[in-house]
Amino acid sequence: MRPKTVILLWLATDALLFLASYVFAYFWRVGWILSSDLPLRHFVTVVTLAIPLWLIVLGASGMFRLARPQGSMRLFFTLTFANAVGAALVVLGFFFLHQRVFSRLLLIAAFLASTLVLRVWHLLYERIARAALWKDPPAFPTLIVGVTRESKRLIELLQKRKNPLRPVAVLDGRGTAEKDIAGVPVLGKLDKLEWTLNNRNITHLIQCSDLEQSLNLLSACRQHNITYLLLPSVLGVIERDERVESLEGLAVTMVRPERGIPALRSLFTV
Amino acid sequence: MRAFILAGGFATRLWPLTEKRAKPLLPLAGKPILTHLVERIPANIPVTVSTNAAFAEGFEEWKTSLPGRDISLVIEGSQKDDHKLGALGATAEWIKRERIDDDLLLLTGDNYLGFPLSRFLEAARPGVAVLAAFDIKSKEQASLFGTVIVDEKEPTRIVGFEEKPREAKTTLVSTGCSLLPKQTLPVLLDLAQRKPDNVGGLFEEFLNKGLEVDCFTFTEPWLDIGSFGSYLDAHRLLVGKQSLFHPEATILDGSCEGSVVVGKGSRVESCDLEDCIVFENCVLRNCVLRNCIIDDRCALDGIDLTDKMLRAGTILKRQQS
Repeated sequence: MRPKTVILLWLATDALLFLASYVFAYFWRVGWILSSDLPLRHFVTVVTLAIPLWLIVLGASGMFRLARPQGSMRLFFTLTFANAVGAALVVLGFFFLHQRVFSRLLLIAAFLASTLVLRVWHLLYERIARAALWKDPPAFPTLIVGVTRESKRLIELLQKRKNPLRPVAVLDGRGTAEKDIAGVPVLGKLDKLEWTLNNRNITHLIQCSDLEQSLNLLSACRQHNITYLLLPSVLGVIERDERVESLEGLAVTMVRPERGIPALRSLFTV
Repeated sequence: MRAFILAGGFATRLWPLTEKRAKPLLPLAGKPILTHLVERIPANIPVTVSTNAAFAEGFEEWKTSLPGRDISLVIEGSQKDDHKLGALGATAEWIKRERIDDDLLLLTGDNYLGFPLSRFLEAARPGVAVLAAFDIKSKEQASLFGTVIVDEKEPTRIVGFEEKPREAKTTLVSTGCSLLPKQTLPVLLDLAQRKPDNVGGLFEEFLNKGLEVDCFTFTEPWLDIGSFGSYLDAHRLLVGKQSLFHPEATILDGSCEGSVVVGKGSRVESCDLEDCIVFENCVLRNCVLRNCIIDDRCALDGIDLTDKMLRAGTILKRQQS
């Protein structure tokens, strides 16, 4: 229930802030009057109509995924792009409803205001959401499979950043002697998988080693409706140059050595 | 004479096959490993199987498959690997509780013995403990097991043991088959209090206390089934180059090479199988499987797999692209 509430609140506040940014831009450009040339009521109606489509663009680009860090440049570019689409939707909507366009500077002001306000809000809301989802009982109890240096780093990172995927248990196929990893209990070997999934209400499983068991871990996840994640290091990919791409509609993990300018490289990647 | 079979392990190396079933109940050439073992025990000897609470149900069911045998179960309370009593501890508990005052044939439930145990019992001298040892023919291989050092002049007399030595002095390895005369049971009870998990150490304790231990060697196959590799090796050895299909299994088209066993209620259609064990009620279509063990109720369609154990209920179906 908590994740749904967090998402719904996020959608509602984003919609309100988007609208507020456009209203602010209106008064900024038009002045603190109610213009008869560009009635506020018409303007607000069009922006309100554009909001659902703008939210769909944002959602489709993964903006509302709770485990994603909002501080990344990638999400900033995503937001900028979605807001550009939002501005275009407002212009188009206004043209369709009133057979005219309005001030280009108003549009630019609205675009800049919405991008700035929403960026700041997303960074702030991430903290609120993470605090709400992290607290006991965690919204997404996560099982870590494999005790390796990589999994230790992962657990520490998730804890430090209060990621919604909160590690609550560790299993190790080879049977480590360690009793806990950064305070997360090591419950034993994989024979305790079923028990752990049932008794710890696991929602996510992150495989950090034991590659030979990936099929069985996946099978268990499917049976329990659990989200399965695999650290690329399990496949030997440790340089963080992997991506999930599509090859004729099939998802493939692509590893491409980092060379050149990232933005340009992605354009010419085969 | 009483036979006591240790079957209380959790066999974590054979996960996921042992997720809901004990290792001795894994099928080997069409029947459980434990059934192979019990069939080697002379019919007049009562058999007790020691297991844990987690797998008790499976053993109760297995017991009904051997209606003519005197079999009883001892259920240890442990539900998890780290709570168990220990093999020697479980044996001692049973001896005390049942007030056993008889010779004891002590066996481990995950071993396959190729020889009839009547021969082993006939070779025993009254009042002397006997341990069955297998000549594994390689010192490198022997170093993975407990080795048995025999007297050079009198090779049926054991003079020492080494547990997984770095460099083995002998190719004789200790198997999970021994005979403990009733006179030696107090030593077992005493050691169980100090080292409840050390069955192997029992014979060393006999030697330390000046008791004789005889060595029984045999040439028939011996298999210690502890891992995916050793399970498949045992399967290959017993099944040979043939395919064993349960009468209630359905096989349509495709090919089978090497050792293939398909269990009850499974349906295999247009698949190429090589050295595979397919458990019960699986549905395989258009698959290529090599060295695979497929647990109950798996459904695979259009998948190629090599060297895999699949947990019960796995569904893998290739989506049409």
